[in-house]
Amino acid sequence: MTLPANPRDAVATGTAAPDVVAGAGAQAGAPIEQANLWRDAWRRYIQNRGAVVAGAIFVAFVAFCVIWPIITPYDIHNDPVNFSQAYEGPSLKHPLGTDKLGKDLLTKLALGGRISIAIGIGATLTILLIGVVYGSIAGFAGGRLDNIQMRLLDALYGLPYLPFAIIVLAIIGTNNLWTMVIALSIASWFTAARIVRGQIITLKENDYVRAAKAVGARWYRVLTRHLLPNTLGILIIAIFLELPGVILGEAFLSFIGLGISPPDASLGSMAQEGREVYRVHPNVIAIPSIAIAVLVLCANFIADGMRDALDPRTRETKEH
Amino acid sequence: MALLQVENLRTHFFTREGAVKAVDGVSFSVEAGKTLGIVGESGCGKSVTALSLMGLIPRPPARIVEGSVTFQGRDLTKLSEGDLEDIRGREMAMIFQDPMTSLNPTLRIRTQITEVLDRHFGYSKDDARKRAVELLEEVRIPRAAERLDDYPHRFSGGMRQRVMIAIAIACNPKLLIADEPTTALDVTVQAEILDLLDDLRRDHEMGMIIITHDMGVIAETADQVAVMYAGQIVEQAQTEELFDRPEHPYTEALLGALPQLEGENVRMGRLRSIPGRPPDLIAPPEGCRFAPRCPHANLSDGCAQRLPELRQIRTGHLVRSRHPASERQAVPV
Amino acid sequence: MTAFIIRRLLWTIPVLLLVILLTFVLMRQIEGNPFRRSSRAVSPAVQQNLERKFNLDEPWYVQYALYVKGVFTFDLGPSLVTRDRTVNDIIKEHFPKSLELGLLAFVWAIALGIPMGVIAALRQNSAYDYGLMFFSNVGYAVPSFLVATLLIYYVSLKAGLLPTNGWINWKYKILPSFALGLAPMAYFARLVRGSMLETLQQDYIRTAKAKGLRWRRIVTVHALRNSLIPAVTAVAPLLGFIITGTFVIEVIFSIPGIGRYFITAVSSRDYSVVMGITVLTSFVIVIANMIVDILYGILDPRTRDART
Repeated sequence: MTLPANPRDAVATGTAAPDVVAGAGAQAGAPIEQANLWRDAWRRYIQNRGAVVAGAIFVAFVAFCVIWPIITPYDIHNDPVNFSQAYEGPSLKHPLGTDKLGKDLLTKLALGGRISIAIGIGATLTILLIGVVYGSIAGFAGGRLDNIQMRLLDALYGLPYLPFAIIVLAIIGTNNLWTMVIALSIASWFTAARIVRGQIITLKENDYVRAAKAVGARWYRVLTRHLLPNTLGILIIAIFLELPGVILGEAFLSFIGLGISPPDASLGSMAQEGREVYRVHPNVIAIPSIAIAVLVLCANFIADGMRDALDPRTRETKEH
Repeated sequence: MALLQVENLRTHFFTREGAVKAVDGVSFSVEAGKTLGIVGESGCGKSVTALSLMGLIPRPPARIVEGSVTFQGRDLTKLSEGDLEDIRGREMAMIFQDPMTSLNPTLRIRTQITEVLDRHFGYSKDDARKRAVELLEEVRIPRAAERLDDYPHRFSGGMRQRVMIAIAIACNPKLLIADEPTTALDVTVQAEILDLLDDLRRDHEMGMIIITHDMGVIAETADQVAVMYAGQIVEQAQTEELFDRPEHPYTEALLGALPQLEGENVRMGRLRSIPGRPPDLIAPPEGCRFAPRCPHANLSDGCAQRLPELRQIRTGHLVRSRHPASERQAVPV
Repeated sequence: MTAFIIRRLLWTIPVLLLVILLTFVLMRQIEGNPFRRSSRAVSPAVQQNLERKFNLDEPWYVQYALYVKGVFTFDLGPSLVTRDRTVNDIIKEHFPKSLELGLLAFVWAIALGIPMGVIAALRQNSAYDYGLMFFSNVGYAVPSFLVATLLIYYVSLKAGLLPTNGWINWKYKILPSFALGLAPMAYFARLVRGSMLETLQQDYIRTAKAKGLRWRRIVTVHALRNSLIPAVTAVAPLLGFIITGTFVIEVIFSIPGIGRYFITAVSSRDYSVVMGITVLTSFVIVIANMIVDILYGILDPRTRDART
């Protein structure tokens, strides 16, 4: 380590030896540099083995659901019904067996997965959209409007989720992918709105918001340029937190017969089909249920991993 | 015999990136009825030292790897957890920096005081309550009897710190450790708290250790001072001696960084800060740890090669430097 | 304290009114009239009479007002489809079973979930901790109908220990309530563990140690109370989960509860039954939320003063 003649000069001219490894990108007093934040988060995420495995499984399953039906030799919708091959166990021809109509379960699983995941993601995004709009207005406006909105939200919380979704479905009449998305999201956006509002309120007090306002930025600019990007982290986590709930909700609805109408089938409807015969042919109900469980499990792990990754507090003990 | 004698204490934190040598060879002693001040910037290891004395360092990842802490003749580093628990709060007590988070928000003040009395002395409920009121009065909380049943959030910051002090002295400890007791408080309240601590020390004949980064606090309360840097003591002396004749360049810099309001040396210019940052404690440099920031560091004297020993430069005045003030030829600008 | 409780109680009223309104509006949107189903073809005259009898020909706000009055006098009207029974009758017959199911599930969740979480936190990173985390992850993710099915398969059919469906004595109640309570249990365990771990990091725990307090006291008096607070807030959404979960469990275990009835009522356009059940469920949720809030106020004294 070389010693500068005068340490003050060295620091001033930037040639001083860096002795402490500062947190990447963190200069005292500088605003959060977005690029470094994500890179840091990614690095931290990778360290979490559970989250990485879960992420891999999740991506693999989604890929399977998307790709398999394209390359499969079976055409679930158009192939003729084949009762003689009904309820077969796992074999080379049908790795997961067949259902009561002789259709290949592996392919059905992929198709069901497509639908369930699509509904899940669709509903989650819708939930977030509604939540962001509602929550940011409440959080940002504050005062009277916020109060009214929150009281309204409290009241809406009192609505039972499943009956509500059922009624909405009944209103719409048809049970296809889009209506399921709508029904599920209308019934469950409340928590997301609360989270967004909470986050906005916390961020609102930050100095860089005050600085922006002091420079004369209009409210929508402050909202979109400063507040919302910083809620992005929370929102991403929220996606993976809401996803399981929605997938399960759709599964429940399908299981009691109120899900997507055939011939489209989600994982839940597959399970429902297997309900009568589970004692004799358990795999018909077990397979889609396990798939649901895996999806939910992975989503939970991913959410946890992200939460840890995006939380700026380090885990090492700090001494003061 | 000193009330507390610390010899060559080393506390390391074992992390994934390596062992952080937070306290790396610290020795000092505290006499009954006297106050030792430990001063240094954030991260120098002063708080970890205090926690190590009480055995309160988080056991993974930290550990006392070497050294002894002799309190009233017993080495605390060798005691079992149960024995330590008996000593804590009873013979040795500690108050912390942030009174807002150091008190349990869901328990009444009364409970937080009486539980100490109950634990160590087995007071009855009524006696404990009476004693609690006495303690609150001793720390100068007005309307003590009424406020006893309040929750912490009903108190102001200064009041809460007084409550913490009341809890600490409840069992008449021989040694009180105060870790940055005034840092989180307003300046006006700071003076009151320091006065209170001083009075209590005299009345109870306690030894006291005050940890701070504020030289002003040291000047107010400490009989003896130890200056810490990067996990080690770099200078140690009686307070007046240190302020009058500082030896270590770091101490000089600390004193030089104080804003001066009056006196012959009133500086009209900018506040002088110390450039640079403390070294990484996972792999501290082999030489003097202050060398990169020291205006007197010199390659030919081996400043960067060998760690200077802590040596006595005058009676009662120790310094860890190759260029203490009294041995320098030229006076730097 | 009592002022706090009363305030909370009063808030339930506008919430209920809103719920009734929303349900009412929604039901009106559903196409179809209970009396026009093809299997019950009725002549126009009879149709008119029926409509008049059930106030279906009045403007909507009148119907709404009548209904609200009905709710507060505990008269939820007649069933529009099974015309010899009122909604009250139906509820009286079926609701207690659902309620019991839900409460039992909740008891399972708390009685097992909380201690599991506490122990896991105290023995962090031990085999027990990892095992528990694994269990809680799985328990939360697996859909309850799978759990129910597995339980029936292994415990009832294979081992013959407990009955498969019905709701007659305590033996019948174990499996369904456990199946329903498993996911909340796992959720609680996780939550309490996390909360406990975080609480143990707090400064006041350090203060407690510095006082020389014994570990047992620190855990039970200082840490436990504070870590249960977030668990209490989680109760509200979990209650929602349990209530909706009863629907599925009742179907699987053939329990004659209100969930099963609800589904048929919707498809047969039995307005009054649907509304009655929805209002009832909302009421339960609202009351539960209120209890949670009050409990929260007891546990955390700070919120008592902060309430507007």
